Amino acid sequence: MQTTALKVKSEEYAGELIQLVSFNLENEEYGINVLMVREIIRMLNITRVPNTPHYVEGVINLRGKVIPIISLRRKFDLPEAEYDKRTRIMVMEVVGEMMGFIVDEVSEVIRISEKEIQPPPPVVSSGIDQECMAGVINQAERLLVLLDLERMFTADERKLFSSVA
Amino acid sequence: MPIDCEDQELLEGFLAETTELLEKLDDDLVSLEKSPEDAELMNRIFRSIHTVKGASSFLGFDLLVKVTHKTEDVLNRLRKGELVVTPEIMDVILEAVDLVKTLVADIKAGEIVERDIESTIAKLVPYLSMSATEATVLSAAPKAEGAAPAAAPQPESAQAAVLQVAPAAAKLKEPAAQKPAAPAAKGEELADNSTVRVDVKRLDDLMNQVGELVLERNRMIQLHSDYQSGLDPNGFADDFGKLSKRLNFVTSELQMQVLKMRMLPVEKVFKKFPRIVRNLARDLGKEVDLQIFGEETELDRSVVDEIGDPLIHLIRNALDHGLETPDERLASGKPRMGTVMLSAAHEGNQIVISIKDNGRGINPDKIAQKALDKGLITEEQLAVMGSREILELIFLPGFSTKEQTTDLSGRGVGMDVVRTNIRKLNGIIEIKNELGHGSEFILKLPLTLAIIQSLLVEVEREVYSIPLASVIETMRVDQKEFHMIGGQEVLKLRDSVLPLLRLGRVFSCADAGHDRSTCYVVIVGVAEKRVGLVVTRLLGQQEVAIKSLGKFLANLPGIGGSTIMGDGRVALIVDPMGLIGGGEGTGVRKSAAA
Repeated sequence: MQTTALKVKSEEYAGELIQLVSFNLENEEYGINVLMVREIIRMLNITRVPNTPHYVEGVINLRGKVIPIISLRRKFDLPEAEYDKRTRIMVMEVVGEMMGFIVDEVSEVIRISEKEIQPPPPVVSSGIDQECMAGVINQAERLLVLLDLERMFTADERKLFSSVA
Repeated sequence: MPIDCEDQELLEGFLAETTELLEKLDDDLVSLEKSPEDAELMNRIFRSIHTVKGASSFLGFDLLVKVTHKTEDVLNRLRKGELVVTPEIMDVILEAVDLVKTLVADIKAGEIVERDIESTIAKLVPYLSMSATEATVLSAAPKAEGAAPAAAPQPESAQAAVLQVAPAAAKLKEPAAQKPAAPAAKGEELADNSTVRVDVKRLDDLMNQVGELVLERNRMIQLHSDYQSGLDPNGFADDFGKLSKRLNFVTSELQMQVLKMRMLPVEKVFKKFPRIVRNLARDLGKEVDLQIFGEETELDRSVVDEIGDPLIHLIRNALDHGLETPDERLASGKPRMGTVMLSAAHEGNQIVISIKDNGRGINPDKIAQKALDKGLITEEQLAVMGSREILELIFLPGFSTKEQTTDLSGRGVGMDVVRTNIRKLNGIIEIKNELGHGSEFILKLPLTLAIIQSLLVEVEREVYSIPLASVIETMRVDQKEFHMIGGQEVLKLRDSVLPLLRLGRVFSCADAGHDRSTCYVVIVGVAEKRVGLVVTRLLGQQEVAIKSLGKFLANLPGIGGSTIMGDGRVALIVDPMGLIGGGEGTGVRKSAAA
């Protein structure tokens, strides 16, 4: 999976088309490389796992495999929201592990040219960690924040994940 | 030097066969020492070593041929009655077999290392009616170092009488005493763990079961299409009920079959013990009769791999601490020879392994005193301890009753290893002790680590699964019966005091609000410790397959994994070891704060 992240960078000057899955969180639109996404599922029963960081919602059974679920709202310190029928879990493979991320809504798959990706602005108003932002896409009337979830889990955080009591 | 063998298959065949023969050989040799008259046994040993020699000369492993040839010669003389089996001869033969194992391990690793085989051969040579040529070859050997020059003149001086050689050879053994340790460790690695040999019959059975399963699946498809086409809707429920019963039967059979394929007889671990016991007994100057029962008991590979070390420590302890010297035994009216009984048996879904000796037993007063001296416990702690708790002190890291550290014991590591490994396996340790008459260590281990019997419990509306292997008993208790001792909730249970852990607090579950005065206490045991887990309700017993939580959630305290229940939801599996080991502090703190 590391390769996809690298690819995005190397393609920057090549100006190739990449596909992004766009999703909403607290009325803002985000995009993530489609190659990262394994599947998108509806909300289902989540089993709470004790003694984990607050943004770990719990685990689900994805066809016989137990995978952790992370609330992106909590991860980015956004206000809590009720789950509704548009809430989705995006299952992705992050650093070699399957994981689900809860988002408000998944809208579409868009194609953009590498050239359209601009470096993230130095100051971001929302609570998103600067770290996870791979860039900003300014397309017609929409503004998309391109996320790199691999960066979300820094080495420290991965350790914390398993040792937090 | 890398091994240049044209036919890889041939080489693999050789390695598999040799490994098997060598494993058996150790055992046979030790038995031979006990019953030297057994001609059948003698012949079997001779055949084994001969086969190894033949195969290695065919494949051109010269070092192996040299060692096995000499060993074979000595064995041949024993067989013909020209030599008598003595412990000294056995020492040398066993050393030679160790060397063979090391050489085979080298071949297996794909590298032939130049090893000093001459010193071992030199020890074998005195037992042969050697010719002068061999003796000169030996002394001329440039590789021979240390022991070899000492051995070389020996044959000449002792040519005539074999009897004289024996004590001299025994002396020779001493400088090399450290050496055998290394090859022995190597030898253990000979056993290959990456492939499994499965009985063809088991495979056939498995195939049959899969056939059944396919049949049931077809039945199910048929039933569904019948139902959709509206044929006999009334009979559907009936048929479906029958089908699910059969499916249940077939899958549980299938599960058993697959489980069985992963099973190994515990003999794999047990068979190295006669050798270890023999060497230990000789080193300690004790006379020991090791009796092994139930070595055909089968258990999961993963468990087999883990119990080797704890058993070695327990057996060592039995020999070193448990059994007395022959003189002491006679003085206390016991037979000269001590016995150590090693047995394995199935008990429900557990395997029970016991190590029992008829030595002096464990003196609790001595244990308590030692623990105090070493500062492992305080007087106050000791005062509230029952006799069982005192015995359990021997598991503390750093605990040892030995005044001086020796090769064998005294560092206080052994029992800690036992405890750690048994905990890892979700096992339980029990100690039975009778002062003056011996002690018994009983290990109760789960049969497998992949599928477990578990007790489903409800904690504030959340469902958790507790491995049944560590559950000792469950009881319904009124909360008024709980007491507080030093900030720790406890329950008086018969004659002992049981510390309690509220699972709801440990797992910080949201309070579901029902304020009932009665609750359930699940008493779990991890290794030698017992703790009561307080839960809201017991839901029942279920066989569950363990699913990993992935590496992000791998090391959560108190959670050992997860499982998927009948309705597709995930239930977490409680890890009693994590709770008792790491969670204890949290429990105390939280209940004190409450």
